[in-house]
Order: sequence, then C-alpha cells, then structure tokens
Amino acid sequence: MAAHADTYGRRRLRAASSLLDAHIRWVLVAPAVLLILFMTIYPLGYSMWVNFVNYDFAIPGHRWVALDNFKTVWDDPIARHALWVTLGLSAAAVAVELVLGFLLALAMLRAFVGRRMLMVLFVVPLFVSPVIVGTFFSLILTRPFGPTNYLLGKVLGHTVNIDFTNDHPWYYVSIVLADAWQWTPFMFVILLAGLASISDQLYEAAEIDGASPRQSFFFVTLPLLTPIVLLAVAFRLVDSLKFFDVIYVLTRGGPGTSTYTLSYYLYEQGFQLFHLGMGTAGSWMFMVVISVIAFWLVRRLLKPVDAVSA
Amino acid sequence: MTTDALRLRRGRARGASRVVRGRRVRPGTIARFLFIALFTLFVLAPFYWVAVTSIKPSDDLLASPPIWFPKHPTAIHYATSLNHMRGWLGLKNSVIIASFVTILSVLIGSAAAYSMARFRTGGKHLAFWVLSQRFLPPIAVVIPVFLMFRTLSLVDSRLGLILLYTVFALPFTIWMMYAYFRQMPPDLEEAALVDGCSRWQALWKVAWPLAAPGIVSAGAFAFIFSWTEFLFALVLTSTKAVTLPVIVAGTAVEFQGNLYGEASALTMVSLVPAVLLGILVQRHIVRGLTLGAVQG
Repeated sequence: MAAHADTYGRRRLRAASSLLDAHIRWVLVAPAVLLILFMTIYPLGYSMWVNFVNYDFAIPGHRWVALDNFKTVWDDPIARHALWVTLGLSAAAVAVELVLGFLLALAMLRAFVGRRMLMVLFVVPLFVSPVIVGTFFSLILTRPFGPTNYLLGKVLGHTVNIDFTNDHPWYYVSIVLADAWQWTPFMFVILLAGLASISDQLYEAAEIDGASPRQSFFFVTLPLLTPIVLLAVAFRLVDSLKFFDVIYVLTRGGPGTSTYTLSYYLYEQGFQLFHLGMGTAGSWMFMVVISVIAFWLVRRLLKPVDAVSA
Repeated sequence: MTTDALRLRRGRARGASRVVRGRRVRPGTIARFLFIALFTLFVLAPFYWVAVTSIKPSDDLLASPPIWFPKHPTAIHYATSLNHMRGWLGLKNSVIIASFVTILSVLIGSAAAYSMARFRTGGKHLAFWVLSQRFLPPIAVVIPVFLMFRTLSLVDSRLGLILLYTVFALPFTIWMMYAYFRQMPPDLEEAALVDGCSRWQALWKVAWPLAAPGIVSAGAFAFIFSWTEFLFALVLTSTKAVTLPVIVAGTAVEFQGNLYGEASALTMVSLVPAVLLGILVQRHIVRGLTLGAVQG
C-alpha cells in the first residue's frame, strides 16, 4: 500500500517535472515579465486615466478635464524654462564629459607606472550615489563652509567671494561640474575600450602609407571611434535628461526656479504641490521626448554586439 | 608567413623607436601627465574634503583659512548622525532592501536571460521590450507608482521599494546575463541532457555554476543600483522605510543648523559599501555600463 502510494506520488512528480521541462522556456521568463508588467504597464495605464482628470489631493473627486492638464503644463512658463535648462545642462555636461573623457582616455592609453591604480580610482565616482555627489559639491562649494573661494583667492591673488549655488551663472557651472565629476569616468572607460580595440596594424598601415601622427589620428582613430562615441553620448544624454538628485541637494531648483529641470519641475508639481494630474501629464510629455533618443539607442544596442567594427 | 614576419619586425621597430623617443621628455608627455595629475586631484578632492570634515571637531568647521587636517580628530559626528539622525534606521533599511533586490533580480533575471539566450524565447521583441525599460525615466513612473502603492498600501514599506528596485534592476541583470549565456557554449548542458539530466538540472547544476562570475557581477551592479537610488526612495518612503540616500539628502540640503560634520559622516557611511563593491567589479564596468554593447 505504502509502496503503491509512493510510486503514484513519484509518477505524479515525474509528470509535473516533465510538464515543467516541456515549458521551461516560458516558466523561466514568466517571473521577470510579470514583475515588469506589474510595475510598469499597470501604473502607466492608470496614469493614462489620470492624464485626463483633475487629480489633486486638495480637491475631492476626479473631474474629467480632457486635455487641460497637458495644456496647463504646456503653457506654464516654468515648465518651458525647465525644458531649456534641462537641454542646456545636458548638452553642456555631456560635452564637458566627452572632451575630458576623451583626453583622459588618450592620456591613459599607453602603459606607465601606476596606471592600474589610477584606472581603479577613476571609475570610483561611477559607484557614488548622485545624491552624495550633490553633497560633495555642496560641501566644497557652499559659502562659508567650502574651501573653494579661499583656494581660488590664493590662486588668483585677490579675494574671491562667489556664491556658487545662488549667483548667476555659477549655479549652472556648479551643477555641470558635479555631473562631470561623476560621469566623465563613464566616457573615459568606454572611449578607452574603443581606443584599445583599434588594431595596431591599422596604424602601421597608415604609417607605411606615409601618414603623420596627426593624419592617422584624424583618418584612422576618429572614424573608427565614431560609432562608440555616438553610443556613449546617447547613453549619457538619455540619463542626463533625467537630472534630479544633484539639483535636489545642491541648489534645490533655486535660486527661485532658475535650476528647475524637467524632473525637478515634475517632482514639485506632483509631490510638493500635489497637482498629480498635471504632474502625470507632464511625465507623459517628458517620456515622449526621452523615448526618441532611447528608441534609437535600443535599436543600436540590439544590433550584433561588436560595437567598434559596426 | 612572410607578411607575418614582416609585421613582426615592423612592430619591433616601432616599439624600439618608442623607447628611444621616451628618453627625451617631449612637451606632449608633460601635457599628458599634467592632465592625468589634475584629473586625479579633481577626483580625489571631494573624497578628501568630506572625509576630513567628518572627523573635524565642530569648532574647526568654519575656520578661515580652512583647516586641512584637524589636530584632534573626533568620531562625534558619526555618533550623532547615526544615533540621533536616523542613521542606523537608514543603514538598516538600505542593507535589507539592497540585499533582497540583489537576490531577487539575480534569480529572476538570470532565469529569464537563460531562456532568452538558449531558447530564443520571445525573440527580438522581448529583448527590445526588456531593454527599453532601462531608459524609462523614473520621474515619469514615480507618480503613477505612488498612486498604485497608495491603493496597495505599499507606501513607506520596504516591500514596495524592493519590488520597484527589482523591476528597475532587471533590464540590466537580464541583459548582462543574456550576453553571458550567449557566450557560453551549450555543449556541456547538452552533454548533461544526454546523460539523463532534466532541463532544470541542466540549468541548476551545469549552466548556473558556470555562469557564476557573470552572476556575481550582475548582482553587484544590482546592489549598487539599489544602494544609491534616490528619487523613488524620496517619494515613496517617509518614516519607516527611509533609505540612507534620503537621510543624507535631508542633512545636506541647505545645511539647516550647519550640520556639515553630520552630513559628511553620513556621506562616508553611505559611500563606502558601494565604492568597495564597485572596485571589486570594476573589471566588468565597461560591459556593465553599456549593457554589453562594448567589450572592455
């Protein structure tokens, strides 16, 4: 009897396991797909409805307002200003990071004593929380605590008294500086990988053909590096358009609303003023902007891997 | 054969001339090392200043000229910030949340990646969809997620953050493991199947252990992501589930009451684990940052 139950149980177990085996591919992807669906599709679907109603914690009920939420955001001068600030800061930060990162990659390309240690040091900023980067620069730049004014005074030979988080245009400079501190290493490591992957033979061939070092830089290095530069820039652009953490700590969007970025603006609308309908509508508009770049980038990433030869 | 020999000789000649050139110091070389030195200073400066501030006695904080190293280092800021400014709470929450996210995203992510790599499940569409999640701006989902969490009473709970972070870590983990599994030859698993293993066993006993290095680095990146994330934590937590970055930001914003020392101490506490872990996996960083598009 016991033996019978045992074989019965075992047979059922085996049947179940062969069923699992037959559908293993679906069983394996299911948790990931379901979890992502739950956390993204549902909220996004729900927010589709919020887009078109008056969703405000201060006002009871959800009146249908059609496109008013979108119109309010679109007409809001602060939102427009935030758009320009975001674009400007992103462009400036990515440009600074690209130039510094590229120079650094060129400088670090060939071996020297201590290179390995420096490589480790240079990637460390990538593992620092952006909030902490904001804190860092807040501590370094803010008057009267930070030593920056004092050091600048020593270097320039006269007293310097800049309020780095409130004086125009220094608050922009501070933000770009903080972002560059964190993300120049990103450009650096990617471009270094790109530079290192260019075969020596190509340079030799160029040399045989009588190319000067400058010519081989412009006609060998740059063209081969272009795809990887585009990739790195696209990555950084998509991420830098989300600018929030550093601003939250360093300038709090101020002075006034001068350093509101789109993310900061939406945060204010949604969670300080509780205009959730407007905030959601703004989020959707923001997402459309980002997805243009993101779409290109994702397509690019899906292409067969080897980026340098692509 | 002859071309190979030619190449070899030319290579040697190039190398040799480089050595000779290296003897005289050229302006290019000076510029090169000056740039490296300046950048090193730039990277180190904030670390140094914050580390020193965290051990300065309060009287030294606003001294002018600035005190570059305190005569009497103190641990008082660490004690105050951890004991009286919710430092321990933040630390505990951050550790719990980041650990769970790491485990969950590695388990779920590598399973999905395995299926996508070996069986081409979902084909290009699934890969495209998963990858595009990586670029979803957090601010665009945080309002709807907040509304959803309110109905499910997940606001200010660790579970809520764990689920959300796992979702945002998944595209990354899946993509990294996908690249890893595709590089692994399927021969060993096939041999295991021939020997009578089930598909599950082939995954658990053969593929999984072989992929261990990839799993470790994917897990480390997931940990660092959830350890450093700020916006979601800021919006979705208030008292019980606050994480370290939120608490750091709280002390640092406009330095109410001149909490420079406390802010620095908390910053150091929050900094160290992620940086140490980062240094351990820095070999994989290029692939990690570009989701496998560039091999480092």
